[in-house]
Amino acid sequence: MANQSGSVYGLTVLSPVLDDPEAEVSHNVAIRKYLSTLPRDESSPFSKVSSTHMARLVVMEDVVFVGHPAHEEHLKSQYLVFESNFDGDLDTYLTRMAQEIPDAVESVWSHCVGYPGLKNVRAFVAYIKRCQLTTTFYFADVNNKTVQQTLRALQIQSGLARFIELNQGKPPSEIQSAFAEFWNSVETASPLAPGAKGVGELPCFAAGRAAGSEGGD
Amino acid sequence: MMTNINGKAYAMTAITPMKPWKTWIVRAFFFILGHIKPLQKDLVNLSFIHFARWVIIPRHRFPNLENQPKEDLRYDYMLFFSNFNGTWNQYIDAFSAVLSRGLNLIWIWSEKFPGSVPVTPFKQYIARCQFDTDYYYTAYPYATTNDVKAAHRVEDAVTAFAAESKNLPPDEFMRGYQRLLVAVQADLGETGEPPVGT
Repeated sequence: MANQSGSVYGLTVLSPVLDDPEAEVSHNVAIRKYLSTLPRDESSPFSKVSSTHMARLVVMEDVVFVGHPAHEEHLKSQYLVFESNFDGDLDTYLTRMAQEIPDAVESVWSHCVGYPGLKNVRAFVAYIKRCQLTTTFYFADVNNKTVQQTLRALQIQSGLARFIELNQGKPPSEIQSAFAEFWNSVETASPLAPGAKGVGELPCFAAGRAAGSEGGD
Repeated sequence: MMTNINGKAYAMTAITPMKPWKTWIVRAFFFILGHIKPLQKDLVNLSFIHFARWVIIPRHRFPNLENQPKEDLRYDYMLFFSNFNGTWNQYIDAFSAVLSRGLNLIWIWSEKFPGSVPVTPFKQYIARCQFDTDYYYTAYPYATTNDVKAAHRVEDAVTAFAAESKNLPPDEFMRGYQRLLVAVQADLGETGEPPVGT
């Protein structure tokens, strides 16, 4: 199925935006205003739906006219485009969105035609599926790792580079015991928050730095 | 704030019109591309695209709910979404240089597509068909797709070393440690702040 590549699912949704000439703020503007206030780091709602690798929301006002002799035509509705790349299956993902980030979902999709609200999660899942488009061709460069596996790998990569730097030229027995401490630190480190701007620091290095500064080093 | 960019990732969204009979040619091309992996080699080798997709919307298949007026269109449309690393200009330049044949096979069926080489009209066409992103999220904004792949290689190597080197005498541990360093040295580049660009 073209919506999937390995264990990654590519969701494409076009939700028609409400058109209400009486509205004080038009619905497309309201969506954009809300999205402009939404954090994009670890405080993002998509960080809570932690299987999300990457996601975007775009208000598509019209199709484009590429110039003559092409025919000029226009859409009758504006559409909210939702593109997401996530781990696992669609039903689980949409259910998580409804249950874990209801405020964000409500703030965005309440401006769309046919949105049933979130009281009935199955109705929301069915609604999104009615707006879903099948992907014709989907490419995922890394398609066999979850978000959490990737965050952990990035944390280990950064930690190992730091470890090597700190332990250059030390005798083997010292490096060996430092490595045991490093690896213990890796295994007990709390998972990184998706969306955060960096990989943070493993506890073993934080402790080392504190000890160094105490020693006046 | 550049909403198309989050950290090292750029979200491109573009839409192009196509005569409906031509979309079948594009579908056939994608079908072949999807089933013959070696044909995706150039896309993989570019190695700065996390995720990309093409979605063809037939003119009668725009989602239609409740009393929303039905669309009345002459063209089918092809949506293109890419999540890539680097700047817009670098991306289009690389696409044009490395994938020109493949891109032409995909987009030549879109109205007024000028071809992917020379690059100036190609960029003008993409700019015309592109939408700005209103909201863009990535779980690992500081990492490129090359960083992600390197990190998984490092994790595999160091996990194996941690298991194998337990309880070894220091000298043997050290030999294994040095082998580990040689194995991962090319994959230890620091992730960090992205460069500024457009």
